[in-house]
Amino acid sequence: MATMEKEGLLKYIPGLLLCMILGWLALQWDESIHGWQKDLQECQKILKADADRKTPLPFDEYKLKGEKYQEQMALYRQNILKEEPKKPHILKKDVYESLIATKEIPFKYKFGNKMLEFQLTYVAILLLGGMLIRNTIGIADVFKPGTVMARPIIKPGIVLLGGYYVWSNLLKVGVPALLLVVIFIFGTVVLVSIIGRKMKQDDGLLGVMAAGVGVCGVSAAVAVAPIVKSKPRDFFYAVGTILLFGTVGLFTFPYIGKALGMSEPVFGAWVGTSILNTAQLVAAASWYGHDALLTANIINIVRVGFIPIVVIYCIWFYIVRNPTAEGRGEKINSLQIIIDKFPLFILGFFAMVTLNEFGVFTKDHQYIFGKQLLKIFFAIGFAGVGLNIAFDDLRKAGGKAFVIGFFAASLKAILSAIVVMLLGTDVFRVK
Amino acid sequence: MEEGTREFEEKAKKVFSAERKEDIWVLIISAIAVILGLAGIITKNTYPSLFF
Repeated sequence: MATMEKEGLLKYIPGLLLCMILGWLALQWDESIHGWQKDLQECQKILKADADRKTPLPFDEYKLKGEKYQEQMALYRQNILKEEPKKPHILKKDVYESLIATKEIPFKYKFGNKMLEFQLTYVAILLLGGMLIRNTIGIADVFKPGTVMARPIIKPGIVLLGGYYVWSNLLKVGVPALLLVVIFIFGTVVLVSIIGRKMKQDDGLLGVMAAGVGVCGVSAAVAVAPIVKSKPRDFFYAVGTILLFGTVGLFTFPYIGKALGMSEPVFGAWVGTSILNTAQLVAAASWYGHDALLTANIINIVRVGFIPIVVIYCIWFYIVRNPTAEGRGEKINSLQIIIDKFPLFILGFFAMVTLNEFGVFTKDHQYIFGKQLLKIFFAIGFAGVGLNIAFDDLRKAGGKAFVIGFFAASLKAILSAIVVMLLGTDVFRVK
Repeated sequence: MEEGTREFEEKAKKVFSAERKEDIWVLIISAIAVILGLAGIITKNTYPSLFF
């Protein structure tokens, strides 16, 4: 028994290691292109200053601004300076001298900047690269369990991001988020139920589809499936449709958002409402920017908190009020359902917000948790997400379930895009 | 077909379901990260030191 358990855990190690290595490579890429972009901006600044001044500064004089920053930081730490000074980016000596001599910016800096213009950050590299690997050369069976296991590693990142908010931030965005969740998510649940009934579809299929498309992708579908007694075929159609919509959204929404001129908070609100799965929406929002992630995270927290409520609704809609259903007229034990289905990790997020509210975290802590450690957790998780996008699975979306699910999810995405854009950036800006 | 669907269902459940056990692990890992951060074992320089 103990050996079996050991083997059970050991089987995850190769895949987890693979995701960690891919995650590290993607983060190395990300660090490089961001560094090159900063170098490019600094080079442009230096060339402009030199053109104005005519005589370029020697390197020893140029690097003095680094020392000046240290002095200002010391004053800031002693509370003499009120505003934290901005850390200057200083070029290496050889780069600086070559730039002054040739007036030419190295190609790799321009390349880094171009990559960022195309949003090819670690998020895109891991998702696109993972998908490409999975669907071309494939991954060996020995890696598969671990890559599946890597996906939820995104969640500690979501919890740590809680250290970035205080309760007033949460309430500011949480109230419109709550309204969006109620209107769009329950609107979709009801829409799927009504359209499906009109198309004479099975309750089992409609239950999982409504929960999946309306609330939180596959997690909600899994929660509802046993309640509405869905057949494996129904479940499989619903999951295929949810996966397909999520994948299409993940790769297209960031570009649609840019094309529509959405600000980061507006985009965060949009993906928070319209992408169906936590991992996919976190990936899409991270792809767009950190402010988009801050907003999307709040909406996602509100949304996944609604899973038990949707389960209760599905019991009422498909069983209690259905005269032909087994168990009709029975009382719902709402409290037990809430306890059973509530996603516990949300409590960790709220604990982080509360600790930050009480001033436990300094700015450095916030930066470590909300930017650095978050990236590490996300990178491992996104490697798992990318490596698990298998076209074969997506092809399993089918039949009328696909038509109903895709129609409802697309309608929700279009309407929510209009609503969040009308409400504007200020409503969804966290800080 | 039935066999295939079951297999897919099982796989989907494994891949995506936010199960309680998984959430408990998430909370443990997060707590360890916070403790390491507050204790000063993980600093602002730890992350950049991981890369070239």
